[in-house]
Amino acid sequence: MTEEPYRWVEAIANRREYIEDQLARGSPIVLLNYADGLLLLTVSRETRKIFEVYDRIAFAALGHPADIERLRLAAIDLAHVEGFHRAVADVSLRRLVNFGLSPALKTAFEQVFSAPHIVKMVLAELGETPDHDLIVKLDYDGSYGRSEIEMREPFDVVAGTHPAEKLMLEYLVEHDGHAKRDLADAVRLAAQTWAVGMQLSERGRPADERELKLPPDFDAVKALRETLKTRHVEAAVLDRTRRGAAKFRLLDEKEIRTALKDL
Amino acid sequence: MDPVPAGGDFLAVLKSRGYELAPRLAAAAAAHAPLTHGTTVLAIKYKDGVLVAGDRRATAGHLVMYERAEKLINIDARSVLAIAGVPAVAYEMARVLEHSFQYYQRSQLQEMSTPGKVRSLSKLLKENLPMTLQGVGMVVPIFATYDEGGKVFLYDALGAQFESADFAASGSGALAVRSVLHYLNTWGGKPLGKYSEAETVVVALRALDTAAASDTATGGYNSKANVFPNVRAITEDGIHDIEEAELAKLYKSEI
Repeated sequence: MTEEPYRWVEAIANRREYIEDQLARGSPIVLLNYADGLLLLTVSRETRKIFEVYDRIAFAALGHPADIERLRLAAIDLAHVEGFHRAVADVSLRRLVNFGLSPALKTAFEQVFSAPHIVKMVLAELGETPDHDLIVKLDYDGSYGRSEIEMREPFDVVAGTHPAEKLMLEYLVEHDGHAKRDLADAVRLAAQTWAVGMQLSERGRPADERELKLPPDFDAVKALRETLKTRHVEAAVLDRTRRGAAKFRLLDEKEIRTALKDL
Repeated sequence: MDPVPAGGDFLAVLKSRGYELAPRLAAAAAAHAPLTHGTTVLAIKYKDGVLVAGDRRATAGHLVMYERAEKLINIDARSVLAIAGVPAVAYEMARVLEHSFQYYQRSQLQEMSTPGKVRSLSKLLKENLPMTLQGVGMVVPIFATYDEGGKVFLYDALGAQFESADFAASGSGALAVRSVLHYLNTWGGKPLGKYSEAETVVVALRALDTAAASDTATGGYNSKANVFPNVRAITEDGIHDIEEAELAKLYKSEI
């Protein structure tokens, strides 16, 4: 069937529908700058969603755990082989995405007889100074890039649906997401932003995305407090002040609990 | 794109991309090449961890090639490789090792155990067997790390590993160092394991000086060029260098 061009286009469109349905209810991810670097945060059930790739590179993804794992290993392989053959400074997120991950995702997506990667991710590279931080959003079809607000601001989000992402970004803009707050404050804001995204993601993907709106009496703090009774927050930082070359650190339970205790 | 199912083995990833640690040279071709080696490195277990030290001289036959060679290489936050042997191969091994530990930790989401690390170096030395047998690339390193106390491992050129109870030394000046340390450890009043960091630094400097006195391939303290040995401590808190200013003071008062 794919010999006929329009059938192929149709197959790709179906695939897109299928993947977006799969992703729609995923737990959102928030990437937010703070005083010493960048914070990644999500709320997970069991599987880990935030990972270290190299000394200054980390990512978080939503999607199928096996697909995330495959991309994670591919990124780690690429980065370490490059760092070994050349130098640590030659491992850059730009090249990792442009020449490694994106082409691979695109190939997998367009080969309609094999399974695509069900994944959506945000990757971050910590620069020497905040001006040199780099944030990249990468989609299941290999496309990468950020919207206009996202390009301007030192934060970003990933959620199952576009309206959810849009509302989360608006929430961050409203709450001065660009401010260099301390880590505990950043964890609080990121978690509240997550709650905004989750409120919409829980409803899945309606026929018309415009129908997705926050209920008028929605309170991010209250919603978050409810969630935290059953689920746990996962967060990690790329910390410029960390000693040594590797800047990635997972926050421990206690740190997160302390930050979220006086919500 | 699909990653090699390497289970965290970085060397396997490198090999799958055509990397070879030890090229199979023709033995005859290399027979007369002047190679740099000759060194003294040592590791002493003391009260708070391990102290490693190394001289700075690199030689080729009777020639002094370089007086500021670094023979202590940090592999991770709490491990140091002290190298004796042919630098080209030793530095390459250190590089593979450093990336291997990081690669394992990041891909497997857990740190490699100390026995795993010790074994990794052993595998690299075995990998280097062709170079060793041809006499062009022998490496005899010491691996020092902290894991519930200081730990020191000495290797032979074929990759056999031996855990040292109190201290280890490698390189052309090793015999002199071992004699000094054995004497001190046995009849010195208290065993080396009870020494403070400051006391251990003095012992290490004196031992290196003893090696330099009889071994041409070991460089002592060079007061004209102001070149000091490298001295580094590994404790529970990580790795720290003993600063040159501190060494300069000790050379004046203690050596």
